[in-house]
Amino acid sequence: MVKKLGVLLMMSVGVVSSCSNSAMEPEEINPEIDVCDVCNMGLAHEHYATEIVTADGEIYKFDDIGCMNEFLEMETSLQEESTAKKYVRDVDTGEWIELEKAYNAYHPEFWTPMANGVVSFKDKESAENYIKEQGMGEVLDYKALKKHDWSWER
Amino acid sequence: MWRLTRPFAIYFFLLLLLVPINTYAEEFKVEAGQSIQRAVDSSRNGDTILISPGLYKESVMINKEVSIKGEKGAIIDGGGRGNVIIVTASNIVIDGLTIQNSGSGQEDSGIHIKKADRNVIQNNILKNVQNGIYLANSNENKLLGNSITSNKSHFSKRGNGIHIFKGGGHFLKGNEIESVQDGIYFDFTSGIQVSENHVGESRYGMHFMFSDEILAERNHVEKNVTGFMVMDSAHIDFIQNKVTDHFHFRGYGILIYETKNVLVEGNEILRNSTGLSLEYGVNTSIKRNQIAANQVGLEFMGKNENNTFSENNFIGNVVQSKISGEDMRLDDGVKGNYWDDYSSFDLSGDGVGEEAYKAGSLYDRLLRKQPYWQFFFESPSIKLWTKAEALFPSFGAADVYDARPLVEPVTMFQETEQHSKDRLMPGLIGILFVVFSIFVIVKGRKL
Repeated sequence: MVKKLGVLLMMSVGVVSSCSNSAMEPEEINPEIDVCDVCNMGLAHEHYATEIVTADGEIYKFDDIGCMNEFLEMETSLQEESTAKKYVRDVDTGEWIELEKAYNAYHPEFWTPMANGVVSFKDKESAENYIKEQGMGEVLDYKALKKHDWSWER
Repeated sequence: MWRLTRPFAIYFFLLLLLVPINTYAEEFKVEAGQSIQRAVDSSRNGDTILISPGLYKESVMINKEVSIKGEKGAIIDGGGRGNVIIVTASNIVIDGLTIQNSGSGQEDSGIHIKKADRNVIQNNILKNVQNGIYLANSNENKLLGNSITSNKSHFSKRGNGIHIFKGGGHFLKGNEIESVQDGIYFDFTSGIQVSENHVGESRYGMHFMFSDEILAERNHVEKNVTGFMVMDSAHIDFIQNKVTDHFHFRGYGILIYETKNVLVEGNEILRNSTGLSLEYGVNTSIKRNQIAANQVGLEFMGKNENNTFSENNFIGNVVQSKISGEDMRLDDGVKGNYWDDYSSFDLSGDGVGEEAYKAGSLYDRLLRKQPYWQFFFESPSIKLWTKAEALFPSFGAADVYDARPLVEPVTMFQETEQHSKDRLMPGLIGILFVVFSIFVIVKGRKL
């Protein structure tokens, strides 16, 4: 009996530990069930979605980079790199990129789900191309993004 | 003399009136095989273009004041590229067409109206289009009785039924929208009336973003993920809508987020995962609604300020309320709401219970922190817990209460009043049945 319980306990430990995400990798978006952890909106526009993955394996999902920023302002402990990684997606390919390495195109007229006008790309070239295509905007790297004044006014 | 010439004078005057109309407003007819675009190009302001039944494979650009009327079976097919019809002129009419196969770009639409005012789009059927009707930077357009469906893919790949971007003053009535992303999307708009529309099988029935002064009345939203999604908006009135069957596991009947001055009155909010949710709602007034048969009737999250609830019926919700966040009062000082799980008495006979109804329970608070504990819903331990909490109310989380709970449900609709008259007949039959039973019993004994 005790042995059986022991096995059961071991198994449950196994199940629990396999759930944790030690590599801090982002997770695929499921538009059917995932909603933004800040504003509750469904993540229908998958390529604009962003994620925070904590060292404890907790994953937070957001409908765009502005909502993620709002979340980080509330949860100041997650702002450091060691406790959580922040991911954005290349809007063309949907590839996950760490926020620090992404280049963002910004113009208040750019469309994003929560209308803050910041669209992310995997390299500077793609961001510049997007700006050229739209005929407006500027490139924000991570440094510039940190100083960026988030707003919804157009 | 004047008596004789007067009719002639009037006749002559009328002729003068008629002549210019005849020369200016012409009626073209486009037959199958001809081009609608060519007809538009050769027409003048004020002309009417009649489209005969048939399949027209083209994209049409309307840049002058014309009316386009489709006879039954007139179909314009965009061939899967761009917009099917683009409107850049004001005062046009598009009536009775079937419009299909737009491109799949984010703004590709069945009808795309750009910077154009006072147009009437009515009785059209739009199908297999990315967006149905897209109104950008336009004012005072009327969209009446159109039927809109998008393509067959998942809602994350589809566009919206009607997307309104900037501008305002529109009137939308009697549109039938199904299988799109969001039924009607209000994006930085104001001053819009939306009446008697129906939206089903989509992500959000109506989606209000950064919008102001919108009246939504007598609409029916059903079987979407969420019925009404209201975010960062102000002055939104919901009156007599039906919000039903939103059973998606993260679905809501009405979700109000960071929004001010909302009126929710006389709506039926039935059979949703969560009926009504407020998160950072300010100055909302919620009265005379039927909030029934939802899994969670009422939800509060975060900080909500200055909201009044009165004369709502909370009936048969699996969980009446789920509350986290700030303290709040759920009555307007005179009248509160009817809660079918209220268990105190009305001793003074004024229709208001003597003890306050306390919303939310400790279990709700636990669920907020540990969503998986839902597994223990209705388990003996949770029941015991809730009961203990009822005995010692200080246990509870945020102090949300209705100080003037009603002991009888509020009668809201005419139908319900008529029902009470119909009860006479079953009552009579019941009495007869009882009399007959007593007769049988008494007789039976004697034998």
